[in-house]
Amino acid sequence: MGPLAPYEIISANTNMLLAFVIGIGFGFVLESSGFSSSRKLAGVFYGYDTVVLKVFFTGAITAASGLLFFSLFGWVDLAMVYVNPTYMHSAILGGVVMGLGFIMGGFCPGTSFCGASIGKIDAMVFIAGLFIGVFVFGEGYPMWEKLFMDGFQGYPKLSTVMGISDGVFTLLMIAAALGMFYVGEWAEKKFPQPEY
Amino acid sequence: MKTRIIISIVFLGLGFILAAIPQNTTLKYKLTAEELLTEANNSVMFYSPDEVAQLLIQKDPNIRLIDVRTPDDYDKYALPNAINIPLSDLLSETYRDFLDQDVYQNILYSNGTTDAVKAWMILRQLGWENNFVLQGGLNYWAETILNPQAPPSTVASDEIARYDFRKGASQSLGGGSLESTEASVSSAAPKPMVKSTPKKKKAQGGC
Repeated sequence: MGPLAPYEIISANTNMLLAFVIGIGFGFVLESSGFSSSRKLAGVFYGYDTVVLKVFFTGAITAASGLLFFSLFGWVDLAMVYVNPTYMHSAILGGVVMGLGFIMGGFCPGTSFCGASIGKIDAMVFIAGLFIGVFVFGEGYPMWEKLFMDGFQGYPKLSTVMGISDGVFTLLMIAAALGMFYVGEWAEKKFPQPEY
Repeated sequence: MKTRIIISIVFLGLGFILAAIPQNTTLKYKLTAEELLTEANNSVMFYSPDEVAQLLIQKDPNIRLIDVRTPDDYDKYALPNAINIPLSDLLSETYRDFLDQDVYQNILYSNGTTDAVKAWMILRQLGWENNFVLQGGLNYWAETILNPQAPPSTVASDEIARYDFRKGASQSLGGGSLESTEASVSSAAPKPMVKSTPKKKKAQGGC
């Protein structure tokens, strides 16, 4: 949670409590935006509903430009921001598996819990499948440990890899997001779906 | 539809600003002024010359000596295995891995303590741990370790033991080179050393 936990301004327990509160807020927003419907997520892949794409890319460009402006004003130390380690092979494989699960199930892990909490049976089945996957991965870990750890590239940022500044990268991402929004709206008109 | 276009233009505008401004690469100070004052006041940063000599003789793998003087001074004389990071280049990206780490205890030294403490204050403010200062700097090092003065025979025995240790350290850490320069200044000093030689032997036997 922000610079609060690494600087030990708040304790680990307070951190968990804050995570709990934020999690409830997140779930509430997901539900009220209609993300607990599996059709909404699957719609991205068929082109009749691109809300998910729009929400996530709006989130990404808001957070990216916010962080850079905060850093410019000296409110946030970007060096403290956690960057995920990159394991190239498992990232590609995991992306494919997750994408297939998205299309088939119509949920991502977060929205499946949203759906389950308002009583959707398909969401509960999805969660059961999620736990089976977790169990198989955990129990079989020695079998795919090598693949899992393969292709480690450190903690790169896309901007560093491309050799441009964070600001230029954010501008490109904003342009790409706006382009995708435009294409998305066009697709929604092109592949209309009767009320669902 | 109109609001969407306005929001899109705003986002693009912000994007252009971000792309145009230089990145904020300022290193932020992490400690408050009060915290640093407390640490500085309690002299938590000091390693005494005796402690450092002890660690060097034991070849402790966890300590690393860092000479913050100019490269010229460093070339003339430096402590064994010390690396040179001039104070003026302290924040250079080249040295970041040496100073911001948790493997070694870095012991900074300069001729006196002023420059080393300057460096320590900056590093400590940045929140980097494991940096310390050789108390008294090279001057005090030369005085205590390389050319120890024999205490009068009336002092407490631990004082004499310390002197014996310094004598030994002086030999093992190559005090000879400095002795030659210092000897001319204080030619009377070697005399008491000779006088105390029997005591040293006694202490050695005790060990």
